Amino acid sequence: MSELRPFGERYATALADPDVRGGLTAFQRGWRVSRDAAIADLEAQEGRSFDELRAELAAIKDGVLANWEHHIDTFTANATAAGAEVVRVATPGEANALVTERMQAAGADLIVKGKSMVSEEIGLNSHLEAAGIIPVETDLGEWILQLAEETPSHLVMPAIHKRKEVIAELFERVLERPFPADDIDRMVKAARTELRERFLASSVGLSGANALISEGGSILLVCNEGNNRMSVALPKLHVVTAGIEKLLPTYADAMKQVRLLGRSATGQPITVYTNFLTGPRPGQEQLIILLDNGRTAMAEDPDVAAALRCIRCGACADVCPPYGVVGGHAFGHVYTGAIGLVNTSFHHGIEAAAGPQSLCVSCGACATVCPVDIPLPVQILEVRATVARAGAAGSAGTVTRAALSAFQHPALVGLGLRAVGLLSTPLRRDGVTALPAVLTTRGPLATRIGWRSPPAVPLRPARDTLRPGRLEEPPRLADQPLAGRKVQLFLQCLSDRIAPDIPIAAARLLRAAGAQVTVPREQHCCGLPAYDSGEQDTARDMVRQTMAALADGADVVTPASSCLAMLGHDAPHLLRGDLGEVERAQELAGRTYDLISYLATGPGRLPAGSLDDGDRTPVTVHRFCQASNTLGRTDAIEAFLRDVAGVPVVPLPEAGECCGFGGSTSVRNPELSAGILDRKLGCLDRTEASVLITDNPGCILHLRGGVHASGREVEVLHLAEYLVRRLPGATSMSQED
Amino acid sequence: MTEPTVQDDPPTATPGRALLRTRVEAAASTYHELPGWEEVAAHAAALADRIALAPSLHAAQPDLATSLEALGCTVVVPGTEDPGADVADVPVAIVGGVLAVAETGSVLVTEHELRDRVVTMLCKRLLQVVAATDVVGRLEDAAEWLAPRGGQAGFASLMTGPSRTADIERSLTIGVQGPDEVDVLVLVGTDAATEEPTT
Repeated sequence: MSELRPFGERYATALADPDVRGGLTAFQRGWRVSRDAAIADLEAQEGRSFDELRAELAAIKDGVLANWEHHIDTFTANATAAGAEVVRVATPGEANALVTERMQAAGADLIVKGKSMVSEEIGLNSHLEAAGIIPVETDLGEWILQLAEETPSHLVMPAIHKRKEVIAELFERVLERPFPADDIDRMVKAARTELRERFLASSVGLSGANALISEGGSILLVCNEGNNRMSVALPKLHVVTAGIEKLLPTYADAMKQVRLLGRSATGQPITVYTNFLTGPRPGQEQLIILLDNGRTAMAEDPDVAAALRCIRCGACADVCPPYGVVGGHAFGHVYTGAIGLVNTSFHHGIEAAAGPQSLCVSCGACATVCPVDIPLPVQILEVRATVARAGAAGSAGTVTRAALSAFQHPALVGLGLRAVGLLSTPLRRDGVTALPAVLTTRGPLATRIGWRSPPAVPLRPARDTLRPGRLEEPPRLADQPLAGRKVQLFLQCLSDRIAPDIPIAAARLLRAAGAQVTVPREQHCCGLPAYDSGEQDTARDMVRQTMAALADGADVVTPASSCLAMLGHDAPHLLRGDLGEVERAQELAGRTYDLISYLATGPGRLPAGSLDDGDRTPVTVHRFCQASNTLGRTDAIEAFLRDVAGVPVVPLPEAGECCGFGGSTSVRNPELSAGILDRKLGCLDRTEASVLITDNPGCILHLRGGVHASGREVEVLHLAEYLVRRLPGATSMSQED
Repeated sequence: MTEPTVQDDPPTATPGRALLRTRVEAAASTYHELPGWEEVAAHAAALADRIALAPSLHAAQPDLATSLEALGCTVVVPGTEDPGADVADVPVAIVGGVLAVAETGSVLVTEHELRDRVVTMLCKRLLQVVAATDVVGRLEDAAEWLAPRGGQAGFASLMTGPSRTADIERSLTIGVQGPDEVDVLVLVGTDAATEEPTT
């Protein structure tokens, strides 16, 4: 294994390679279709939901950790009885030394390897090479990477970042005969021929383990190619490298893992070979190395212990929007995808974990497909907080920290943005700031800023416009579900000052439905930006300040679903150190709604057709990713638009995937953000809709900027902005000009 | 999930076998119900004239080799010296399975010794033979078979279809380090014999 380069370098390389993004987008889309079909089949077969099935497997894995030593001892006793030698090691160094020592004692200079992520984790290949031993990877993807002198970019599909043309060229160079790029079968057969000689010549074979079954001392080892069967059968010494978290109590438990593993990894009901190895074959020795390397420390940390459930299916990478843009070489270390953002700090140290942290957009998609229900988004933010505390290279850094700190003071924020608004007035066009072409098309800043026009900064924040008596009374709806009901409007800090039309429209809608809308003056920011940046102390202060501002027991409605995700989902977690605060956070969460929930199913539920003004121009809907993935909302906006507003909705492909805003991501890694946005806008083009509706202000400003900068002619509107136009006798709502 | 009905299955066919057929075919293997070992020999002889037999199968069914030879085939049973070389270029091999799992279309094959394993690894086309009475419903049934054998040296493999890879651009390619083709042959007895189904 070649040494891993610094994160910044890996990120730049990935962005510069057009194959990475093109190939991974196609891969992610293909995976999604296969996996979803396979899971739907499983749910039908078992008569249980995916959530029930994964909860069952998660409970089995958690049960092992609760009684870890017992299971390790039982496994060791049974495997030893079957003739294996089981050795526990604490560090990669011990593992590498042990393998090397055994190979040298056997006089072996060649080792055939099946796929083993633990062997990648410990850097076994480079260690062996230094000792004059030749490791040969036998999994096709791993072998391709070995020839190319690269490392895997995915847990299951190690060479998925490479196009067939590149692999064909590689084969031509190494094997010195022609390989047409469209003849994948020829490449596969060449691997078979080349590797078969190595299998027959090697006296040592290595494999990983998908599970260690303690009741029988057996190793569960799955593969599709058949290479693993050969690398464990043919040599005289079989070495197994496995993490100690791989234990399962029984064979029946292993079958539950099998059911979810193949489907989550490749959409297969089961892999071609599902092998149960107990001890060595006659005439063979078997050495099982059980590696700790930070796993005990993970188990002792309640914030990340559940990550030890991981069965290495790779699903968290397969749905990860940033992974789809930069791939696993940037997004992760040895372990890629969301799980890599969690476990890397334990296996490889905080510095190795720090860089890729900034790539996560906190969209929550990974948690929806994890077959062992690891709360990855929450864990990633915990690791991010650790990285920030350690001040490791790649953490938010002092500038961000200072900005977040300043952001705690509403007066300062108001003053600053007013200055920006005044200065940028001449550049304001259609809700965005049209930057001069000299900045967006040429020069060093072009790739960082050219892809998205910044929002127009207004002169007056929403909170001023919404002072009592300033806003004219809106027309009233025939139905008044909120008549006499008090509603506290939580503006969202970003909308308040940068997109005031959004909360103003929300206020008008609520009033039209009969509500008595108040705007508590002390409100500022729910703390999400700080939480998202790993600055948890700042985030806690802001949550507390928001809780105090909204202490009046009336309903809280916000046009920003991200604030709901924060106040309803993250705040109790963030305040978990104080039960009283958790209770108060939960009380607030219980009466806080985003606008769509309030009007569609909550107290403000509007009857069908009540916002139908006869306009039938089709619209499409982007679903705010956290609303889909964290709050579990599916087609609420689409259904509302159809039923209540009477408007045809064209489905947006990949509607619930992140748009690329991702809080601080679009500032820290703008190229990544632009890549995700590009995929979203490509989906938008396919709908041919002229209006895009969503309900999170961050998404709206991001999408509006991207639409403007790319010259598309699509109006991007908040749900509230769209709906106020449909109030009886509605006129333009803009407060500006 | 509705199980597809197989119209020309005999009355003894269980829902388990109908599902097994569906899943075996979904895994890109072929599925056949045959009366007995004579028909297995005929099936193999129609494919090639050199047939490898897993040593454990040969020990359990010594008549199979005789039948194959009577059909003009050369039978290869790998020895202990260099079993890989013995079977390296044999086109068709036969192995016995201890059970078949309808849920996944898998055949559970035990092959503790190297000379058994090379047969399933190195041949181009593999015939997996299992008795109809050994068709089980679920993966847990295979776990039940495995559990009492824990702690004793052994190797059991749930085999599901021919070997494959999608490592290059997620493009499915059949036939990598294992067989390119797999036939699952279920022995149903002379009363319940059925030939190739038409559905």
